[in-house]
Amino acid sequence: MSNVLESFFQQVGKTDLLTRDQEIELSKLIESGDKRARDRMIRANLRLAISIAKQYQNKGCDMEDLIQESSIGLIKAIDRFDWRRGFKFSTYACWWIKQSVRRHIASHSASFKLPAYAKNMMFKIQQVINEYEEEFGERPTQAEIAEALGVSHDMINAMVDCAMPTVSIEKTVSMGSDGGSKTLKDVLPDESEEIDDVLDRQKIISVMRQALSTLTPREERIVRLRFGISEPDDDHENYPITQEEYDSLVTSKESAQ
Amino acid sequence: MSMPKGFKARKGYATVTEIPGGMDYRSIAEKMTESGDKMNHATARNIFLKAMMKIAAPIHELYQLDNCEGSIMTTAKDPEFQSGVIDIMDELSVSNIV
Repeated sequence: MSNVLESFFQQVGKTDLLTRDQEIELSKLIESGDKRARDRMIRANLRLAISIAKQYQNKGCDMEDLIQESSIGLIKAIDRFDWRRGFKFSTYACWWIKQSVRRHIASHSASFKLPAYAKNMMFKIQQVINEYEEEFGERPTQAEIAEALGVSHDMINAMVDCAMPTVSIEKTVSMGSDGGSKTLKDVLPDESEEIDDVLDRQKIISVMRQALSTLTPREERIVRLRFGISEPDDDHENYPITQEEYDSLVTSKESAQ
Repeated sequence: MSMPKGFKARKGYATVTEIPGGMDYRSIAEKMTESGDKMNHATARNIFLKAMMKIAAPIHELYQLDNCEGSIMTTAKDPEFQSGVIDIMDELSVSNIV
């Protein structure tokens, strides 16, 4: 957990929770346009927003973002809360906070948008898995899910791939011995060609191109034949027709006469 | 006593068996003879190695390697070098070579 988040939690923890009467009193003041009362109501209920946000961690979004979204949901709830109905504020706010967080997760948990049918299929797959686990006490295989849904195994494979959460390359994976943290980009090996190798290769190609241009046509032809590199069809000066082709030409000329 | 392990043991002979479409020196000589350039397999080999040396020489210069004829010939015969030449010749537009 980041230091910023930790100090935020500590600050939030210092604010006292509100009693039912205090909630009503503050709601009345908010209705009359008291900004300080609104602010106090927000701060007093941030713990609720955080606890709901925590339920949705590990869904592919940052905890900071989830808390921000749940706080936005909390503010919406405060602005719409009607104390006359007699409900506790937390009962009413829960719905708004959850809606806000869920919407954020739906639009930000994946780095690509899935079409509606794919989302629907993923929902069905999850349903089959839940029912199967309930009945047999174990997870179904992909073949069993495909059979239950009447779709191909490839389709299930593709859906499973789509359901994988995306991970940021900046995600912290471990703390180094020197106290500094390491991110995924620090530990993932770079499999691309080194810049030195690329430059070396370019230099070699340039030198070889020059060297190849010094070959005589005879040498070039033998190199081509040795390496199985095809001869240009249109270069009849350096690559005259073969004896076989010559013979067939002579034969056809004779037969024509 | 067995022979000491040398270049051939380490790198093997440069053969055409692993080059798709590649020809041995006898077939090259036949093909050249058919097209009017009469030669035997040894001549074909000599011309091929001379061409490889022409390519190896500037590479030796580039990497500041020993520039004597024997050393360049060793590189010219090296199957790994020849394989690299094939890759680069394939990469280059073949019609631009000469």
